[in-house]
Amino acid sequence: MSLPEQAILPASRGWLEGTQRLAMPALVLAVALMLAAPFLVGGYWVRILTSVYMYAVVAQGLNVIVGFAGYHAFGNSVFFGVGAYVVGVAVTLGVPVPIAFILAPIVSMLGAAIIGWPLLRLKGHYFAIATVALNMAMGDLIINVGGVTGGAEGLPLPLGSLSPAELNRLIYYLMLGSMVASVLLVMWLARAPLGYALRALRDSEVGAQVMGINTTLAKTLAWAISAGMTGFVGGIWGYWINFIEPGSAFDIGVSVNGYIMMLIGGMGSAIGPVIGAFFFEILSTAIWGQFVKIHLLILGIVIILVVMLMPEGLLFYLQRVFRAREKRG
Amino acid sequence: MLGQTIVNGLLLGGLYAIAAVGFSMVWGVMGVINMAHGAFIMVGAYVSYFVFATFGIDPFLSVPLSMAVLFVLGYGVQRLLLNRLMRTSLLLSLVLTFGLDLVLVNIFLLIFSADLRSVNTFYTSRSFALGPVLIPYVRLAVFVFALALAAGFYVFLNRTKAGQAILATALDKETVRLMGVDPLKVYALTAGVGAALAGAAGSFASMLFPISPSMGITFIGSVFVITVLGGIGSIEGAVLAGLVYGLIQAFAASLLGVNFQEIVAFLIFLLILVLRPQGLLGKRFYGEVA
Repeated sequence: MSLPEQAILPASRGWLEGTQRLAMPALVLAVALMLAAPFLVGGYWVRILTSVYMYAVVAQGLNVIVGFAGYHAFGNSVFFGVGAYVVGVAVTLGVPVPIAFILAPIVSMLGAAIIGWPLLRLKGHYFAIATVALNMAMGDLIINVGGVTGGAEGLPLPLGSLSPAELNRLIYYLMLGSMVASVLLVMWLARAPLGYALRALRDSEVGAQVMGINTTLAKTLAWAISAGMTGFVGGIWGYWINFIEPGSAFDIGVSVNGYIMMLIGGMGSAIGPVIGAFFFEILSTAIWGQFVKIHLLILGIVIILVVMLMPEGLLFYLQRVFRAREKRG
Repeated sequence: MLGQTIVNGLLLGGLYAIAAVGFSMVWGVMGVINMAHGAFIMVGAYVSYFVFATFGIDPFLSVPLSMAVLFVLGYGVQRLLLNRLMRTSLLLSLVLTFGLDLVLVNIFLLIFSADLRSVNTFYTSRSFALGPVLIPYVRLAVFVFALALAAGFYVFLNRTKAGQAILATALDKETVRLMGVDPLKVYALTAGVGAALAGAAGSFASMLFPISPSMGITFIGSVFVITVLGGIGSIEGAVLAGLVYGLIQAFAASLLGVNFQEIVAFLIFLLILVLRPQGLLGKRFYGEVA
């Protein structure tokens, strides 16, 4: 179960290296533009950008457990739903909203640590499906528990004092902040001892153990970090849409989208999932706007094409194209 | 009551078994988790529905047709798309088949709309009594045909040259080259046969459940659990696990309520994964490719 070697290396080689001096100013400019965006574009685009940032964090969460640790958490959307429900239930019970936002990632992390201890013993496919099953079961659990979670009917959140425009702006900045934080976290992880431990155990779990790495601890930590990121944006999302129901909170489509974005952007790099999120979310919005009836059909075709044509991600694909051009020129 | 629950579970278990056999084999031989397997079942159901609605032909008679249609579909997808990914990671085939699932479901939404359809033959709601237990004719017939088909498939794998080539490729895809077997052709054949079995399952399902483009989703979860329960790549395991799963569902529904079916299934799934990851009848090496 090894990944193509290129997909593993950090995305700072080749043509990217030459542009590295420009990378920092470019990033600062991009962040400045994103900060100013709510004053520059209309509400429609603000909402789209907000979901771009949200998915970037979901993809980044997958990047930690899949790209670094090599564990295919296909059902990572379970933490998205957990985060949404933690915020939903907490706010309904009268907990202040900022505290609810902090509770969401904490509960998600704890959940991942507890369930990860048995689940992370599974390898390859088995782990992938176990997470999918976990996601499905959580949705069913909410339906059966009912009570304060609202069960199958869903959970309407009490309205805050903010006007819709103010709420959208607040959510926009929260999602933007989460995305920037997630990129910084992964950049840190790439250089931290934990990051090295994870990459070592991805390439060979036995080998990593021999080198003295506590692999159980490392991968459980990785999943907890991943769950924390996903749960955090899940919580914000729940507050944003104001109505949570099991079907949409535990929608496997959330992690599938995240997966595709991570794939498009390239795994194992800090900026890849963000690029993938921008590319895919804006593309699918454009498709949705043009072909309402068949947008999922076209999306399916796009997914197949992406997997067939650039399985190593957009960054590496461009890199190859540039290299080929350099050789010719 | 107890007898009825057992009969209900076993009869439905036959359908679950045939729905899972193809999926399990594809996974065991190639290491591909086919997310579109549920959509394949759905296509099979629509083939039977279409033939029944236009020509009035009984769904049991259109089973070979839906198997043929799905064989071509499965073979083509493997040949054109999946074979190019066989050397890379499992995540790519997972994502690709998910995309394929989206495409298939939405094509059928366009053609047939989201309306629920059903196949009603003259014997659809008839049953006979065996002591205190009521046995519906359709379910009994589906059970018998499904198990017969699974048995036939078992014979195909173990007694024919093509079947032996599939098993050999599952064991060691490097060595089979030396025996004059082209693994890529075997993969395409495997995918075709796996899809054909899904098609048969769809034809059977068309007689028991409402037909809609999204009906595959309800199957794919059960198919996952049965495959893991039976042991990945094991035909007899999938059949046994299908029956066990049918029984578990029937008992969970009658003792705890219909809502708990999936939770019980998930708990069993987790237990099996942790305690006996190779499944009831699985061999360790299967499913560990890729």
